[in-house]
Amino acid sequence: MRRRLELTLLLGPALLLFTGFVLVPIAVAAYYSLYDWQGFGALTDFVGLGNYWDVLGGAVFQGAVGHNLVIVVLSLVVQLPVSVAIALLLNRKLRGRAALRLIVFAPYVLSEATTAVIWLLILQPGGFVDQALTVLGLHGAIHQWLADPQVVLLTLFAVITWKYLGFGIILLLAGLQGIPRELLEAAALDGASSWQAVRRVVLPLLGPTIRIWIFLSVIGSLQVFDIVWIMTLGGPANASTTMATYLIDHGFKRYEFGYGSAVAVVLFIICFAFALVYQRFALRRDTEGAMG
Amino acid sequence: MLTAASLSRAPGIATRRATVRPATVVAYLAAILIVGITVVPLLFVLIGGFRTTAQVNAAPVGWPSPWVADNYTAILGAPAFWEFLWNSMVIAVIATGLAVALGSMAGFALSRYRFRGREALYGVFTIGLLFPLGVASLPLYLLLRQVGLLENPLGVALPEAAFSLPVTILILRPFMLAIPQEVEDAAVLDGASRLGFFWRILLPLSMPALSTVTVLAFVTSWNAYLLPLLVFNDQSHFTLPLGVATFQSQYSQDTARILAFTTLSMVPALAVFVLAERRIVGGLSGSVKG
Amino acid sequence: MRSIRLCAVVIAALLVAACGSSGTAGSGALTWWHNGTSDPLKSLWQSVADGYHAAHPDVTISIDPIQNEQFQTKVPLALQSDSPPGLYQQWGGGGEASQIKSGKVLDLTSSVSSWIGTLGKAAEGWQVDGKQYGVPFDLHVVGFWYRKDLFGKAQITTPPATMADFYTDIDKLRAAGVTPVAIGSKDRWPDAFYWDYFAVRECSTDVVKQSIKAQKLEDPCWRKAGDDLTALLARKPFQDGFLGTPAQQGAGSSAGMVANGQAAMELQGDWEPGTMAALTEDKDFASKLGWFPFPTIEGGAGDPGVTLGGGDGFSCTTVAPPSCPDFLKYIDGAEVQTKLAAAGIGLPVNPDAAGALKDPTLRQVFDFSRKATYIQTYLDIALPTNVGQALDDAIANFVAGKGTAASVAATVGQAATGDK
Repeated sequence: MRRRLELTLLLGPALLLFTGFVLVPIAVAAYYSLYDWQGFGALTDFVGLGNYWDVLGGAVFQGAVGHNLVIVVLSLVVQLPVSVAIALLLNRKLRGRAALRLIVFAPYVLSEATTAVIWLLILQPGGFVDQALTVLGLHGAIHQWLADPQVVLLTLFAVITWKYLGFGIILLLAGLQGIPRELLEAAALDGASSWQAVRRVVLPLLGPTIRIWIFLSVIGSLQVFDIVWIMTLGGPANASTTMATYLIDHGFKRYEFGYGSAVAVVLFIICFAFALVYQRFALRRDTEGAMG
Repeated sequence: MLTAASLSRAPGIATRRATVRPATVVAYLAAILIVGITVVPLLFVLIGGFRTTAQVNAAPVGWPSPWVADNYTAILGAPAFWEFLWNSMVIAVIATGLAVALGSMAGFALSRYRFRGREALYGVFTIGLLFPLGVASLPLYLLLRQVGLLENPLGVALPEAAFSLPVTILILRPFMLAIPQEVEDAAVLDGASRLGFFWRILLPLSMPALSTVTVLAFVTSWNAYLLPLLVFNDQSHFTLPLGVATFQSQYSQDTARILAFTTLSMVPALAVFVLAERRIVGGLSGSVKG
Repeated sequence: MRSIRLCAVVIAALLVAACGSSGTAGSGALTWWHNGTSDPLKSLWQSVADGYHAAHPDVTISIDPIQNEQFQTKVPLALQSDSPPGLYQQWGGGGEASQIKSGKVLDLTSSVSSWIGTLGKAAEGWQVDGKQYGVPFDLHVVGFWYRKDLFGKAQITTPPATMADFYTDIDKLRAAGVTPVAIGSKDRWPDAFYWDYFAVRECSTDVVKQSIKAQKLEDPCWRKAGDDLTALLARKPFQDGFLGTPAQQGAGSSAGMVANGQAAMELQGDWEPGTMAALTEDKDFASKLGWFPFPTIEGGAGDPGVTLGGGDGFSCTTVAPPSCPDFLKYIDGAEVQTKLAAAGIGLPVNPDAAGALKDPTLRQVFDFSRKATYIQTYLDIALPTNVGQALDDAIANFVAGKGTAASVAATVGQAATGDK
């Protein structure tokens, strides 16, 4: 009985807040998706799953899904190792470590709108990036960063990495704190080199945190919106659309709130499917075991 | 017991500190490279505020010539800026406080208790992460209007706290799970209740994770744009991100002033990070298995 | 679990509790939404409100400046509620037609009939089915802004009058080492200016009006517009990397390029000098600018006197105090219009204010607008929002190399029948 009371006290407020301000709006949004609705007047035009067929059958949306998947893969292949490496670096006793951490985290604090504006200016043809490459003798590497459909997605990925790397690093740093010093020192005493210590001791213990990082990163990659929207609007010619920009562009901007909601539900289902599979295979061992 | 510490104090034995290991050199070089790439755009924002818009437009990346303090002084001297700052602060503190408090309670329940439907409930909280916020804003706006929370800071803070709960719980739960059962048993033996264990032992031990989620929730609220936009029409209620609109017109924008404004807006959030970062890294850590 | 059931009850109760009306219209209290978030427009509108209040002490006007891009988000939401603002800014055409569906927009036909005629053709863009639902306060017209010094460098003595002349001039500019035309394709709407203009040059005014009304572009002249655009693109008139260039932000934008003499021409509205002023350190740039209308096309069925344009306007809502239409009359009166023209906020809709236009080039643009046989609202505004946006996207994709002239024209019909 007491236990039930404790559980209610602990879970109740969070659940109440969450249900009211998150679950209910999501459910209502899903309800809108069954209608054709321009935002004016009442919901009268019931189309059932019609919006969903339109979404899934559209070439632009399918392209957007592809772009999101590219970003997901790149984030796992590029951002993860770099984040772990930098986190390990910032965990060492370096001079100016605190200032370094501040600098690394600062891009995350910068608003997305300003991030996009700055990078737009830096990436201008003949702008800072082009000039820097020329100075370094890499003139041939210069591309139309935002105008070339082949390159634009990679450019956006670079900007996204710049902005969100700090967030991942802080998370990993917090995870590193849970690794006792003694373990590392014992490994060093046993003659292990730094690299071996990392591989055999640190990484496995950092596992749970890395798995959280991966989860948040994949979800974030599937939902990326602001930076893409402000820098390219999904262009040129839909070369950099994401599911979220498609949602706003073909949905809300055209006052097609029902259709936009359907896109949102499809995006949700994709994220949910990933979350289910990931929970089952990757996160499961983190929840079993540690607790008696 | 022979430990590394006692070794280093023993006379006549070379310590690690006496030699410069190549790994350290590599570390410093890597650090410089990272700083370089990260900091250039940031410097651009900071220093851009000391130029005029015409200068910025003529050469996007360059030194101010001449240095112009007008942007910063004009913003700091405008009462509107402090109003935006205050509004942002109130909302962020409420949202963060609620998210961390409720999130840690829920995380505790979901990690140290066993009950039927625990995983399902955890899954329900995760759902909030999976749905794009922008789409939920429309029904959320209608809900807020019906409940009478428009033009009200709570109308922004409460939903923000709610949407921060998934990340908070997602991060806190594994950290709380990692604390061994022995610690909890010892506390119980000492006569502490479950809730007492939560308050006196678990929370302090989870300080790195708590600090992390505090920073994340604060920054998310600080930079939130869409929800305040929908909830506030009256300029006196605006938060800092909305305040940028005062420097933009239909056909142009005062770029230098926006850069100065953005730099100043970042300061409180960075301050929160600096305060929390000491807890993340320098807090009671590594002593769990003592 | 019990806690979940409890939650559900609470939420349901909250939702059912229809919260009391937030604010009544009140006699004489007018809430005004306009897009002047910064000066000079912000102070100007405030002085207009103060001026009206001084003359009518029983009317208090409270202003909420809203950032321009946010109108399309906030207005539909406001029109759904019981208390939308009494007076709000909108841009006429199909967007206005959609807003009328909310039932909250006031029919102004009778209240403005006495003076709407003075505004001339500009007011037509704010009519829906012959009824006046909004009133413009300024007028915009799109044409070519060009650098006289760069034209001189390429030895072009007079601006081109026909498309053939235009192509010749492009070649001359290239030969002189000058980028002929700047365009901000990243933002998509500058592309639409070209397609829209080719369309009104190839299609007669009647065909244009009927096609917009029917929301179907079936006449072959619409495909000709696409072919003309292909021909233009083939001559490579634009700057390198134009697909990623923004229209108005930063010196690297298309406006910035012309302001700094890096390109010779841009097809833009009359706001262009105002935009350029912030993008260059050259204090003299305005004197180097000239303007010429979009060239005519030989053999085109379109009326060469047709001009593409639009404007900004206001609408009253049904909850506004009775003085709202009178306030609109005040805004369109000579006094306020003169203030607007002097501040460089677009072209006045009241001809009495024309004298206040300081820039001689703007006067030239204004005179041209008064002489135009018909002002065609930009097609993405004239059509309903979803159709107009679909058209803009199709045009932008077409300029980037995807799609055909036929598919662009077909987009309108498809979007109108619910294709997404």
